[in-house]
Amino acid sequence: MNILTLLIFSPILFGLIILMLPAGYRNIFRYLTLFATLLQLGISIWLYLNFKTGAAYAGVANEGQYQFVEKLHWIGLNLGGMGRMQIDYFVGVDGISIILLLMSSVVMVIAALSSWEINKNHKGYFALFLLLDVAITGVFCSLDFFLFYIFYELMLLPLYFLIGIWGGVRREYAAIKFFLYTLFGSVFMLLVMVGLYFSVKDPATGNHTFNMVQMMNPANYDSGSIFGILSHRLLFGIPARTVGFIVLFIAFAIKVPVVPFHTWLPDAHVEAPTPVSIILAGVLLKVGGYGIIRICLGIFPEVALNGAFWIGLLGVVSILYGALNALAQRDLKRLIAFSSVSHMGFVLLGIASNTAEGMSGAMMQMVSHGFLSSMLFYLVGVIYIRVHDRDIYSFRGLGTMLPKYTVFIMIAFFASLGLPGFSAFIAEAFSLIGAFNSKTIPVWMAVCGSVGILLSATYFLWTLQRMFFGDTRLKGGDAWKLALTDLGKREILALVPLALLTLALGIMPSLVFDKINDSVLALIQFIQVK
Amino acid sequence: MDSLGYFMPELILSVLFILVFVTDLIFGKTSGRICRSISIGGLLVVIYKVLWQLVLLSNSKGGAAYLFGEMLQLRRTEVFFKLIIDVLAIIILLYVPWDKALRAHFKGLADLYSIIIASVLGLHIMVMAVNLLSIYVSIEMVSIASYLMVAYRSDTPVTTEAGMKYVLFGAVSSAIMLYGISLLYGFSGSLDINDATFIHNLSIANPVSVSLAIVLVMVGIGFKLSFVPMHFWVPDVYQGAATPITAYLSTLPKIAAFGLFINFLTPFISYGTWSAFDFRLFLSVIGIITMIVGNLAAIWQTNIKRLLAYSSIGHTGFALMALATFSQQGVSAILFYLLVYAVANVGALMLTSYFVNKIGAHDLDSYKGVGLRYPLPSVCFVIILISLAGLPISAGFNAKVMVFSSVYQIYDINHNIWLLALMITGAATTVISLFYYIKIPLYLFLKRNEHHAEDQLLTHQYLLISICLISLFVLIAGIFPQFFNIPIN
Repeated sequence: MNILTLLIFSPILFGLIILMLPAGYRNIFRYLTLFATLLQLGISIWLYLNFKTGAAYAGVANEGQYQFVEKLHWIGLNLGGMGRMQIDYFVGVDGISIILLLMSSVVMVIAALSSWEINKNHKGYFALFLLLDVAITGVFCSLDFFLFYIFYELMLLPLYFLIGIWGGVRREYAAIKFFLYTLFGSVFMLLVMVGLYFSVKDPATGNHTFNMVQMMNPANYDSGSIFGILSHRLLFGIPARTVGFIVLFIAFAIKVPVVPFHTWLPDAHVEAPTPVSIILAGVLLKVGGYGIIRICLGIFPEVALNGAFWIGLLGVVSILYGALNALAQRDLKRLIAFSSVSHMGFVLLGIASNTAEGMSGAMMQMVSHGFLSSMLFYLVGVIYIRVHDRDIYSFRGLGTMLPKYTVFIMIAFFASLGLPGFSAFIAEAFSLIGAFNSKTIPVWMAVCGSVGILLSATYFLWTLQRMFFGDTRLKGGDAWKLALTDLGKREILALVPLALLTLALGIMPSLVFDKINDSVLALIQFIQVK
Repeated sequence: MDSLGYFMPELILSVLFILVFVTDLIFGKTSGRICRSISIGGLLVVIYKVLWQLVLLSNSKGGAAYLFGEMLQLRRTEVFFKLIIDVLAIIILLYVPWDKALRAHFKGLADLYSIIIASVLGLHIMVMAVNLLSIYVSIEMVSIASYLMVAYRSDTPVTTEAGMKYVLFGAVSSAIMLYGISLLYGFSGSLDINDATFIHNLSIANPVSVSLAIVLVMVGIGFKLSFVPMHFWVPDVYQGAATPITAYLSTLPKIAAFGLFINFLTPFISYGTWSAFDFRLFLSVIGIITMIVGNLAAIWQTNIKRLLAYSSIGHTGFALMALATFSQQGVSAILFYLLVYAVANVGALMLTSYFVNKIGAHDLDSYKGVGLRYPLPSVCFVIILISLAGLPISAGFNAKVMVFSSVYQIYDINHNIWLLALMITGAATTVISLFYYIKIPLYLFLKRNEHHAEDQLLTHQYLLISICLISLFVLIAGIFPQFFNIPIN
């Protein structure tokens, strides 16, 4: 059996076991889920260690260079007069996906650990959790657009229920908003996908194909087909390829989220239970970034290159708008949600720069933000589970009360604001270097990005000052003082690896860069050539 | 006499109808169970005979047979339509006595079985009809059977009103259709729509009057398809009729009407210089309006059956999209789409019955918190609704992709802006449809309810089992749609 297939579908097995066990075995469900995620982590680490680097393994637009590939015929639909619709089960990884796979495996383990706080309907919760796990892993491995789309949509429903059933007070609203926003993007993506399918022919078989890697090769497009590069077809007076790019970009931008499409995120985060927030921020947002890199840039490189200014602009707007919003928040979780918007803006900025530095920075930012946002949301969850309040002004002087907790908060905050020595510094620095050196976006964007870092330092430090320094004063009085116990063993167990990882990536960024470098270079070259 | 060989399934249906009818007379009120067994057994024989027609057709020249002086036409497409109809008829026959309200009927259910069998005969003919006369007669056959079924349980004012509305609306639209047919006959001098002179004479007649005649015929077909603006009866009738009858109405006549519509359109499309009436424009506009109206109206519904009624209007609009392609793969996509829609819709209505039986829940509001008490049926409900909404992994998603593909292929050839508009509307209404489909899981799982309705002791294991089987079908057809893909040629 292919190792990627095992990686993707092993959680399903545990999910089925959970469904078959009687509802009373809560602890078994927890440990089974934890075991499933640890198994996935083990496989991911094995993949990471065995991942071959070098120009011959760059991947991106070259099908032969993907690793751990499995390709099976899956669906063959007879379409009447026009032949067959052929859909493959096609999975494989290159430098871009391997690193996100490993990152998401780590985050899923942390999410599983933080699922201990779930206190009702354990069976349903853990079954949905594992289903979500399958979908997330599948998205990063799929190289067939149809398969990608299925995994992409499959994420929605478990998340809807996870937010909706186990969430906070306004959970119904948040769940529906999240669902509809994402669906709105992806339904139109379906139309573009069908259009791409009928535009592209596999040169080997002569059939239309959903193969994403084939879609990246302009030679595979039929002459006169709607998305063919040479056919210059128009849709509503705009070149069809531009329309296709915009539709796909919006679909992924909703996931990232990029500023005009971000309003679901604060609601979803605030209402979601801690583990789901961790998954949302840690992994889900990266699906958006990954989609932009793999699909938008891969399939429509020339449009991306021409539209780099707008992508960069959206990135800068996200950075600044997210940071300014974070400054204005009273709810700690909302603050972190907006800081996510701000930090994900660097991903767009790095992508828009079309330089190797910028793209590496964008990738690094995704990995780094995956760990850091998980840590931040975990830490918010720790307070919330104890006193059911997240208002920044309800707390003061936690530093003396919860020393261990404060250590981790300081690590997470300082790492997030880009202190050298932590991963976010490398990521943001590379994105900005890329933006400064870029020929496709103006320098003021890089300057604005730097201002964003300054702003993030402001809101993180200010929050630190408001909540953790000074005399201990709590809104709930003595009752809270009793409730607010310092971190337990399980919590430390979850936080230590995250802290170590972000530190490790800050000191040895080569852990990521070595793996992604060839793919990033290949991608940049691929875009520039077009 | 050659025709009789191709008419075996229909002959068997006729005999079956008499058999069920007589059994009912002999055994009286207690004959429900026997009649049901005979009907289902008979339909299995009919299915076998329909399948046999595939073999017969492959031996005949051109893969088509014309029966009784060009009254009926039989090709692979018609055979598959009949197969889908028969399979669904069996599911509905099984389903009928599982509904509490119907089972409590004082007359017993034996009559209903004979009516269903008679209507299936009508549906078979409807699918094959290619003569204005046979078209009209078959539609009337189905209509009369449907009137009886809707009014079968007329114990409350709501159901009586539903029955009355249906009869009145049906009678008026069939009268209008008959008028249109007589006009068409007057212009062309022929009843046979495949006749060369029929189309030729129509094409040289005054285009305005011909268009009027065609629109009048569309009224009759539209009544069966329930596209906008011929949909007014749908919500009231679907809500008022007993749930298994709603399941029947929302699937079988609709499928047969699509079969009939395809046959009616074929001569106009294949006639090269037809310009009097733009069918593609007509279908596109109707399709777009139907999708929008059906899906938007469904958002405001609180009664589950009413909600499903509007959603079924939306689905008609979506299937019309594939019809507007006028292509083989369009027909193929329609078949798959209708099959998947019909099975899922019957499943959804079975679940409605289930919850009515269990806790007397008719409205969304009474579904509050039910999901946690009845996890299995509620999870099935979610799966079935996903399929109706067309999200992966479900059969509905594949059906949607197939429809989009078929429309896209034709759009790629002729760049007709209406086809593009259809696709965009289809995608946008998918999002709209989620607004109301998601409401059911929302009430089932997300809303909390402190005081639970009392459980009724009445249990129907079979109902639950068939619901599970339908959900399973929806999932399997979602992952491996090729097993249910229907090769037209």
